[in-house]
Parts: sequence; structure tokens; C-alpha cells
Amino acid sequence: MQSSPGMLTKFESKSSRAKGIAFHPKRPWILVSLHSSTIQLWDYRMGTLIDRFEEHDGPVRGIDFHKTQPLFVSGGDDYKIKVWSYQTRRCLFTLNGHLDYIRTVFFHHELPWILSASDDQTIRIWNWQNRSLICTMTGHNHYAMCAQFHPKEDLVVSASLDQSVRVWDISGLRKKHSAPTSMSFEDQIARQNQNQTDMFGNTDAVVKFVLEGHDRGVNWVAFHPTMPLIASAGDDRLVKLWRMSETKAWEVDTCRGHFQNAEGCLFHPHQDLILSCGEDKTIRVWDLNKRTAVQSFKRESDRFWVIAAHPEINLFAAGHDNGVMVFKLERERPASATHLNQLFYITKEKTVKSYDFQKNVESPTLLSLKKLGSPWVTPRTLSYNPAEKSVLVISPADGGTYELVNLPKDGSGAIEPTETKRGSGNSAIFVARNRFAVLNTSSQVIDIKDLSNNITRSFKPPAGTTDIYFGGTGNLLIITPTAVHLYDIQQKKSTAELSVNGVKYVVWSNDGLYAALLSKHNVTIVTKTLEQVSTLHETIRIKSATWDDAGVLLYSTLNHVKYTLLNGDNGIVRTLDQTVYLVRVKGRNVYCLDRSAKPRVLQVDPTEYRFKLALVKRNYEEMLHIIQNSSLVGQSIISYLQKKGYPEIALQFVQDPTTRFDLAIECGNLEVASEMAQELDRPKFWTRLGMEALSHGNHKIVEISYQKLKQFDKLSFLYLATGDHSKLARMAKIAEHRGDFTSRFQNAVYLGEVEDRIQMFKEIDLYPLAYMTAKSHGLDEECQAILEATGLTEEEVTMPTIGAPLSPCKPIVPTHKANWPTKAGSQSVFEKALMGQVEGLSLEDQPAADLMDINDDAADESAAKRNGGLLGEDDEDVAGWDMGEDVIPEVEGDFVNVDSADAGGAGGSEADLWARNSPLAADHVAGGSFESAMQLLSRQVGAVQFAPLKPRFLEIYQASKTYLPASAGLPPLVNYVRRTLDETNPREVLPLIPRDLEHLATDDLQRGYGSMKSNKLEAGINIFRGILHAILVNAVSGEDEVAEAKKLIASASEYVVAMGIELARRELGATDDVAKDPAALKRSLELSAYFTIPKIEVPHRQLTLMSAMQQAYINKNYNSALSFANRILANGGSRMPIERANKMKAQCERNPSDAIEIDFDQHAEFEICAASHTPIYSGDSFEECAFDGSKYHSKFKGGVCRVCQVCEIGKRGSGLKLFA
Amino acid sequence: MDPYSAEGELINIHNHFHQGQFQEVVDFDTSSFSSENALPAKVLQLRARIALGQAEDVLAEVKGKSEPELEIVGALAELTLGKTDSAVKTAEKLASSAPENVTVQVVGGIVLQASGKPDEALALLSQHQGSLDAVALIVQIQISQNRTDLALKEVTGARRWAQDSLLVNLAESWVGLRVGGEKYQQAFYVFEELAQAPATSSAWSLVSQAVCELHLGRTEEAQAALEQALQKDPENSAAIANLLVLAVVSGQDPKEWTEKLQKVEPQHQLLADLEEKSELFDKAATKYKAKVSA
Repeated sequence: MQSSPGMLTKFESKSSRAKGIAFHPKRPWILVSLHSSTIQLWDYRMGTLIDRFEEHDGPVRGIDFHKTQPLFVSGGDDYKIKVWSYQTRRCLFTLNGHLDYIRTVFFHHELPWILSASDDQTIRIWNWQNRSLICTMTGHNHYAMCAQFHPKEDLVVSASLDQSVRVWDISGLRKKHSAPTSMSFEDQIARQNQNQTDMFGNTDAVVKFVLEGHDRGVNWVAFHPTMPLIASAGDDRLVKLWRMSETKAWEVDTCRGHFQNAEGCLFHPHQDLILSCGEDKTIRVWDLNKRTAVQSFKRESDRFWVIAAHPEINLFAAGHDNGVMVFKLERERPASATHLNQLFYITKEKTVKSYDFQKNVESPTLLSLKKLGSPWVTPRTLSYNPAEKSVLVISPADGGTYELVNLPKDGSGAIEPTETKRGSGNSAIFVARNRFAVLNTSSQVIDIKDLSNNITRSFKPPAGTTDIYFGGTGNLLIITPTAVHLYDIQQKKSTAELSVNGVKYVVWSNDGLYAALLSKHNVTIVTKTLEQVSTLHETIRIKSATWDDAGVLLYSTLNHVKYTLLNGDNGIVRTLDQTVYLVRVKGRNVYCLDRSAKPRVLQVDPTEYRFKLALVKRNYEEMLHIIQNSSLVGQSIISYLQKKGYPEIALQFVQDPTTRFDLAIECGNLEVASEMAQELDRPKFWTRLGMEALSHGNHKIVEISYQKLKQFDKLSFLYLATGDHSKLARMAKIAEHRGDFTSRFQNAVYLGEVEDRIQMFKEIDLYPLAYMTAKSHGLDEECQAILEATGLTEEEVTMPTIGAPLSPCKPIVPTHKANWPTKAGSQSVFEKALMGQVEGLSLEDQPAADLMDINDDAADESAAKRNGGLLGEDDEDVAGWDMGEDVIPEVEGDFVNVDSADAGGAGGSEADLWARNSPLAADHVAGGSFESAMQLLSRQVGAVQFAPLKPRFLEIYQASKTYLPASAGLPPLVNYVRRTLDETNPREVLPLIPRDLEHLATDDLQRGYGSMKSNKLEAGINIFRGILHAILVNAVSGEDEVAEAKKLIASASEYVVAMGIELARRELGATDDVAKDPAALKRSLELSAYFTIPKIEVPHRQLTLMSAMQQAYINKNYNSALSFANRILANGGSRMPIERANKMKAQCERNPSDAIEIDFDQHAEFEICAASHTPIYSGDSFEECAFDGSKYHSKFKGGVCRVCQVCEIGKRGSGLKLFA
Repeated sequence: MDPYSAEGELINIHNHFHQGQFQEVVDFDTSSFSSENALPAKVLQLRARIALGQAEDVLAEVKGKSEPELEIVGALAELTLGKTDSAVKTAEKLASSAPENVTVQVVGGIVLQASGKPDEALALLSQHQGSLDAVALIVQIQISQNRTDLALKEVTGARRWAQDSLLVNLAESWVGLRVGGEKYQQAFYVFEELAQAPATSSAWSLVSQAVCELHLGRTEEAQAALEQALQKDPENSAAIANLLVLAVVSGQDPKEWTEKLQKVEPQHQLLADLEEKSELFDKAATKYKAKVSA
């Protein structure tokens, strides 16, 4: 007997002989009753033993789960039926009554009944709710081996060693037990003894049919789940199929094949199959309709005793001499292949269908594969050839066969393949448009075949090859049990090898750069050259995988969809209620095939892995997008970020002040840290903040921390270090109030206040010290006073040698006014991006200087925050001084007040806020921050020469403030003119920028046109440059205006170029002079021709054309003049030029030739170099101005743009920003 | 009775002063005033004369007078004449000798603030006992220090005890112009009321009204108000400065006004500021240059 390749063992246990098996209807559990008296509860999915129940004495043969309750029942050779709770893990009660071994026990599917069959020749029905015997069926005259309820009707079937199978009608019993009765115990006893007829003549259970046909005892019998069929297995080695109608039952056929006692049989729950097992160590599968053997599975040494089917899924279990095996009859993985937006797959009906991912529609059947292999074996793999629209299908039947079939253009119903090519092989895949590879595992040969099925080459793969997969163009991935080889078909050799155990599937990424090797519990990601990138282990079996477009691998296990990044970071995407096979991920949709080969779409939330991917790729824009658009908050992401070293990003997600504080400290974000410290206001936090701030050199925050902590000594020293004498003086006063002399002394020393020190010494009666201090500082009067006070004379005092008096250094720089250059916190680009302050997000575009900028900005930012913070901090500040205030007498109360008021000092002006509130250069200019504005412009459009922008800068600056006269005698109050009129939040206000886009278009532009028309080109060129400068430093109100601005820039730029050409021509000299110089004349004609090239408004173009035409005509270049005339005519428009052109055309056509050859090809497309005023033909290399787009020959690179006169030619920038 | 209350003798002259109607203050008939109000009225008149540019006359008039009120007014006159050092000296002296004198507080506060000592000015002013002049001055100083928050606190505090006083309204409007949003319109109402009533209208109130309108984006109305102000006082530097700003805001060439301002008040802060920024620009611009010089 050959073991069928289709039977797949999922679980095996080792134990003594298994006599009974029961599947849990929902959970992956199986109960096994053993000959050794033990009952085991296994999780067959995890392969773990959940529990053991040992109360029976001797072998346990019958076992069954209740369908809904957490109960099971067992029956043993101790004559006992036991009902157990698997929750409380104990036997609930025992039903006694049988007088011999119990063979089977079963729950009824809805009534609280248990059916048992026993060697005492009876079949009994028990009510497990009131724990009573309700029916005893007698009639068999040998051991009753098996008895089962019908799944729907009131029938029982039983098998006995008396060679008969009996069908019992128990409808009477149901009637009696569903009717309300009040029967006494005596009545019940009486009825039982009445030979099963009750007082009304009804019988609880009557034999309906007796089926005779087995020649030996019958071991098992089973009803078909839906049809009126019965299968039985007997010691005559036969499996018999019976049919019954309302009135009779008869034998249909016999399945012959077992060569030892047949022990068990059952109907396949979903397919037309019968399964049986026997002491001949085989499990056999029979075709229900033909009664022929379909498959058989042989075990080496164990006899099978029992077989059971899972009620729902395609799973069976068989008990044998040494345990239990759980198995599937066939692979459920549908064969499939994807190409672009199409999925091709083979249905359970063995037809090929396709599914469109975009339209979400299934195609009709494209092809029927019924004839391929045996009818009960579905194909294993499918390989699709898009060039030929054909599929290559592998079926495991007959030791492996492949079939090459062309798909019809559009399917309509089951289409039998017209032409197929077959052969034997275990694995077959397309390797090229017209080649496929076939592996034959038994002969260990790989054949490369062409489409007419002829072998073109053939080679021996590495030993033990089990499977082959596509390995990239011209390559195969050859799978052996311990390794994967990358095999070059042309060279016939293995080019790379990676040892991975048990690879079963290979999934290529969409870009073909990576492949995932799936084995039972591992995913290994490799590059296309078979270098391992990462690997991960799953305890649950991995079923399938597919790649996201962004390079994230999604894989499914039995119960989850998970993801892994290339670096091995993985996580759960969602749970699954049933196993699916992933085929494609698109956006939030995961497409998969379920076990019945139906396409399904699962919704997933890709946020988490997208975010992690963006993090790995440092794609801040994407991260920003994700953060802003999804609620990606949670401990897991925070700890992930922290773990990965991105505390500053984690900071963005956290609300909890303590965590925020920790993270802020970790990434050195002092602003946030101090905000949180304010909120938490506990010494512990202030201490940490102070330490961190000190290491940053941010002494302002250090000061606040010390104030909060009332660390007077440290505070004094800080003031000394920062040279803040006024505050030191205040510290001295506070010390005085506190009566802390040490502190007072210290402050006096810091301040260099000798008198105070002397005074203090006197106060505490340390006259010697006071005297010495006075003496050493040459304060003779004071000395005298002390001497008088102590009643001593100078002679009585012995003085040590006195050195030079100490005096503290005077501060040179008022460090206390601002922070030192602080240590750059790890404020990421990302964080800046969140604040909308970074221009171009892509890192590589930013030169190092820009990174510096960011730090500058960051410093600005922190300054702003600090000011902002202090504004609100006044009250707390006072609170921080609480202790001092208590000690200070009431009269002096004002002092503290004053202190707190000017602790903030003057605030930042609104103009300073503008620069912080906006990333636009114009707003920085309005705020008077010219330097940062220049940096912005330089970064955005490569501005290098700012002098021409000066009027614009000053214009904006002048428009930013008004002067409100207030109190007489004082300068007027300055107010700041805003464009955000309704805004009062200081963080949102923005300045008014004069000459907005509308003004430019309606005023400046028209003036420019006017000067063009009136031929005032010098003025005109300045007006258009002015427009360019005005746009360069400006702000607009929306994206649509940005587009408008771009148009205006382009247009103004063309005018500047055009006017520049004409002005250059005029500079050649007066007409007469030019006429005398042939070179100048040629140049003059060229320039007049080029003048017509820039894309200016049509009426203006007509002017340039007329001028050029005129020039050409005067100098007898009739051909050129003709072409200009033609262009004038083509442009159409006003009458005057048309008339002239017509006239000119008529004249020139008489003699269409040029007297002077000029460099102007009227037919070619070209642009004019704005510097040299010569053509740049398409194909020539050129440079551009990043702002106005004017073109230059490459040699001008690095110079200043001739058009805007601001930007550097060829310098790239992040693009002009006009709208935040 | 509070002499500044609605029934008090000083109310009108005081209001005239704060509405910028300095000539009316000078011409005010103070002969009927009670003796204790004579001096404050005199001080107001002297201050008005200083505002009208007669600082030298005032200085001569108060010379040798020993009343701290007149002495401090002398300091104000000196300040206006550019003798800052001596003015500050006087003010500081009086601040320590007569810090509870309200005139010393207010005028001294002005002198100190104008000479760049806002902290001392505030310290002096904070000793006031319910003087609205002092409150208004404190507000102005705080605004000029960009402490709108504190100014707002001050105004709100004053409003509690002096609800409908002109000075509180004015001070509130000043703060409002910093806060923005709806406050622009509220400030506008206050100034418009003053500017449009013939009895209270002055170049000063017209300029204030115009400034509000400019902030509200109503450039044409602002233009009209400023021109009206110039008719009243052709040399009003505040009007000229704001006209300059307005010209720039509406996209016109401000040259005319720049020149005029230079003539009227060459040391106006707008000009000084512009000068400074122009230098800043030139300095900042030198950091950049093209790789290839043209």
C-alpha cells in the first residue's frame, strides 16, 4: 500500500492504546480515552497536554464532549459512566447501571441525554440533568459495541457482535420526556419493567430496522450527517453502506480492502467520502458514490481502534496502539499565483478562477481542471505566465504530475482545457517567458522545458531537493531540508547557499529585491542574492506571507496576521478567526484566500508598521503624516520609540506629566521638562531638571530649579557665575531676613561688600573678625569704631600679616541676561517638522549649514518658550519664594513683589514672535529678523546677493509698526500691524506684508505692461524686478495663491529677460553706428530676433515681432522678416500689426533671402540665456535660477541670476515658501 | 471730594490734557479754582505748554521754585530740551525726597521712563495711592516693555475702582491694540468717540483713531483720519509717522512722509529704527555672496 501524499498529520501523541476520541466542537481540543484508564485532554494545535482525568478503573472506551456545556462523558470497563466538568477538572457524578464493559457513550445534540452501549447487551439512555436512567434498549444478543444518536431525527443506531446493526425509534421517549409529567418513582420503575410500553401503550424505544449482512460482529456504526445512510465496520473486514427510507432499510454496497478487523468508520462531514480504520494498521478513504478506495494511509506497527471527525473543520483523529493522530485528508491551501492586480487560484471544485484586486470581483470560471490527477486530490501549486496567459499546475496525484494549460481570454463556465501539456514532476514553475522548470524529487532531476514540453536542458540539483521556487531572472531557488540554494540555470551551478531548515514556501517582495523563506515556525528574509537579512521565530505555525508595497512582510499564522520589517521588528496586525492564506496587501486591505479557496478581504490597520517603517527609513514626513492623522498612541509605541532611541519622538505621544518629564530629560528637551516640572512641582523633578539644565548650560532653568528647591547657596553661586549682581544683592537681603549668617557672609563675599561683612561680624559679636576685615580693607574709621566699641586700643591687637584684600571679579559679559550657547538638545528634525519650521524635509538636500540653522531656530524656540513660560510663571515664582517671604517682615513685602515682576524683565515684542510663529522669510523680515530671513531665502532659492532686496526688506519692516501717541512727554506706543486680524493668541499672530499678490497683479504688473507698451524699458525692467523681489519676500493666504504667485514669477521673469535683450541691443550704439560695424549689425539683428522669444503677453510679443521685422527688413533680411510677419499673422490680435505684417509679407515674398546670416533658427525650439543673450537649444545643458526659473548656459553657474539679481545660478534650494 | 471726579473742578482741564487738547488746557480759566486745586491745575497747564513746545518758557517759570510739583515739571522741561542728565538727577532726587507726591510720581515716572529707566519709573509709580495718571503711565510703560499681560492686569485692577474714567478707557485701548482681535474694534470706538466730537477732537485723538483703523485693515479711513489730524496740526510727528507706515502698507512710496518726518522730528524712533535696520541689513547681507562674482 502506498501512503497517500494528501494525508497530512497535524498532531501525534504517544501513550498507551487509545480506545476513544472526541473533538471539541469549537476549541482545538481533543479528548483521548486510553486503555490504561486515563483520559487525556490535548490541545492539538499547540501540541500540549492540557489535562488528565484518572478516576476510571480499567480501560476507558467511550468518550464524548458536550456540544455546548463545559462537560464531557466517559464510559469504562468499570461499568461506570462518568460525567466530568473540564472547567472544574473533576468528575461531577457517576451513572451506574450497566452490568458489563461500556463501549461507547454519546451526548444527545439537544436533549440532556447520554446514550451508552455496553457488553451487557443493552443500550441505555440517561438523563444527565436528573442523573437517571430513562430508557434501556434490549434486543441485541451479544455485546453492544456502539450506539449513536441520529444527528437530527429521533433515531438511534447500534452495532453488536451479534452481527446485526439495529436502528431504533426513540420518538416515544422524546414525547414522554418533553411532556409535563408528574410520575412517581414507582411509576417509572413500573414502566421500565413493562417491557418498554407505558400505560398508554407507547413504547419508549422500538427497533425500527434490523440490518443484517455482516458475517462477523459489527464494531462501529455511524449515521450520515444529512442523508439517510448508515456505515458500519465489522470483524468481517468489511465496511458496509446501508440506506434507509421511512419504512425499510437495505444494504447498498460493501467497501472491501481492510485485511484485518475493521474497527471504526464514519462519513466525511462535508464530502462524499467514508473513512474507516482497522487492525490492519490502515486508515482508508472510500468514495461514497462509487464505493472505491480513494486513499489509504498505513501505519508501521500500530493497529487503529477508533476514528473520529471534527464536526466543523476538515480534521480527523484516529486512535491506535500507541496514541492518537490528528490529520487532514488533504491540503487546504489553495494553489494560487498573483500577477499585477490579478490573483489566479484553484477552487475546491478544481477550477481556475481569477480575482481582480482593484475591482474586487471574482471572474467566472476560467478553466476546469477536473481531469487533472485524481478527483479527490486538488492541485498543490499554480504558476502563472503572464506573457502566454497560461498556468502550470502541479497535482500530487500519481506521484506528482504537472499540467501546462492556456487560459481562455474570458471564462464562461467550466471550460475543459483544449490543449494541455503534461508530465510527471513534484514541482513546476515558470522561470522565463517560454521556459519552465520541473523538479522530480524521486529521480532528483530538474528539467528546463520549453512551452511545447520539450526538455531544453536538465541538471541534477543539490542532494535532497524537495522543492523549487523562482529565484529571480535566470535563477531558481532550490529548497533542501536544511538549506536553500540559489541556482543559476545557465551556469548550472549553485551561486549562493543559505542554511535554513525546513523551508516550505518562498514569497518574493513586489520589487523583487527580497524574499521571505517560510518554514513551519520561522520566517527568514533574504536578499535576492540569498543573504540573510533577518529571521524570526513563531511558536504558532506560519501559514502564508505577502509583501506590502513599502517592503513590510505581512504573514499569517494559524490565528494572527503579523508583520515584520526588514530589520526583524515585528508585531501583530490583527487576529484571525480562521486560517487564511495571504496573497496581497494594499493599503488597509489584506487580500487572502480562505480554506474553501474563496477570496476574502480583511481590513487591517497598517499604522503601526507604517510608522515603524517610516522610523527605520527616517521618513519624517510620513511619520508626521501618521501622527497627525491617526491615533497612534499607546504604551507599546512609546516604549518602542524609547527602546529604539527616539525619546524625542515618543515625547510627542505622551500626556502623562511624569513620563513626559522623563522623556524630555532623556532627550534634553528642557522646555518640555520645565513645563512638566512646573506641573508636577515636586523637589525630585526640580532636582533632576536643575542637573540636566546645568549640563546644558541653560542657567535660566537652573535658576528656576534652584528657586523652587530653595537652594540659596547654589542660587547665590549661580548668580555669581552669571554675573547677576542685582540678584546677588537680593540674595544677600534674603539671607539677612532669613537670619542665615553664613549665607549672608557668602553673598557679601560674592558681592565684595566689605561693610556688610563687617556689619554682620559685629552683629554676631565677632569683633576680631570684623576688625580684621576692616583693617585689611583699609577702613580705618571702621577699625576705630570697632576698637571703641570693644574698648581696646590698636596696640592691644596683634594682627597677623594681612594679604591684599580680596575682591570678586567684575562681570564683563552680562551672561545672566541670556543663556550661554546651550548644548544642542536632541531636538530632532522630526520635532521641528511637527512645529512646521523645517523647509524641505528631506535630509539629504540640506547642507550642513542648514542643520546649524535648525539649531539656531531651536535656540530661538527655547527662548520663546522661556519667555512664554515666564509670563505665566509669576505666581509660581512667588510661591517658590514662600519661605523667604514668610521670614521677610511685612513692610518689605514689596521687595519680593518687585523681584518677581522684574524676574521676567521686559518681555519679547510681538515682532520677535512673528519670526517664531512663521517659517516665511517675509514674516521674519517684518519682525526685523533680517538675518534669519536671509538664511531662509538662501536655503529656499539660493539667494546670495541681498542688496537688491533691501528696499523690499525695509518696506516690509516699515509696514510692521504703528505709532500710537499715549502720555504726553513719552514716545508713542509701538503697535504691530497684523495680517491675522482676528487672532489674539500670541503664538498665532503674523505680520501684515505690504504689496500682496493681488496688489502686485493689479498695480505693479499693469505698470510694467504700461512701460513695455510705451517702450520705457529701463523703467519696465525695474518694475518687473521689483515684482520678483516683492514675491520673493511675501506671504500668501493659500495653496491656490502659491500657484498664482508662481505664474506671476514666471511671467515677470520672461519680461525681464525680454527687456534685457532689447536693452542690450540698444547698447550696441546708435543705428547708424551699428550699420557700419558688420559684427554689431549681426548681433543687433540677432538680439532683435531673440527679443521675440520670451513668453510675454501676445500684444507685447507683437511689438517685439514688429520691431524684429522692421530691423530685418531694413537690413535686407527678407527671409527673417517674412518669418516674423508670419508669426505676427499667426498671433492675430489687433489690426495695426496685422496690416503691417501683411504688407511686409507681400514685399518679402518677392525675395525671400537674408543678406546677413544670423544665429537664429526660426524653426528650432530654444530658450534665451539671460546672461549672454544667446540661444540655449534643447539638448544643450543649462542652469537655472531656483527662484525665477531663468535659464543660463552652464558656464554661468555660480554667478548671480541676471533676472532677479538675488539668487545664485544653478544653486538648488528647497523651493520658495510663501504659505505655511 | 476727589477733584478729578465728575463734579470736581479739575475734571475738564484734566480731560483736555489727556485728550491732547493742550491749547485748551493752557487757555483754561483756573481763577475760580479752590486753593488746593490751583497747583495741580498749574502743573497741567505747564505740562501742556511743554507739550506745545514751550519748554524753555516753562523752565524759566519754575526756576527757583521749591514746590516738588514745580521742580519735577522743571525736570520734564529739561528732558524735553535734551538735558537728560539734569532732568534725571532732579527726578531721582525728588523720588527719594517726596515719593508720595503724586505729581512727582507721574511726571517723575515720565522723566525716568523717557530716559530709559523703566524699572525706576515703575518703582516710583507703584507708590501711587489711587492715581489714574499713574495707572495709565504704568500701563504704558508695561506695554512698551512688551508685558501686555501685566498691563492688562493693571487696567483690570483700575477698572474696578474707576470705571468710566477717560484714562482707564484710554489705557484699556492701548492694551487692546496689543491684544488684537476684537479689541481693535473696541479701541477704535473709544478713540473715534473722542476724535469725532468737536469738543474733544484733537490731532492726538485723530491719530489714535487712525492707528486703530490701520490695524483693522481699513486703510482708506485711516488715511482720511490722519489727513484730518495734519490739518489740525501740520507738524504732528505721530500723524506723519503713521502716514508713512500707511503709505507702505498700501503699497505706495513713503518718500514724501519720510522726508517730512525727518524735517519735523529727525530723532523719531521710526527713523532711528530704520537706520539701525538698514545697517543690520547691510551687515547681514555681506555674509552671502555668489560663488562666481559676475
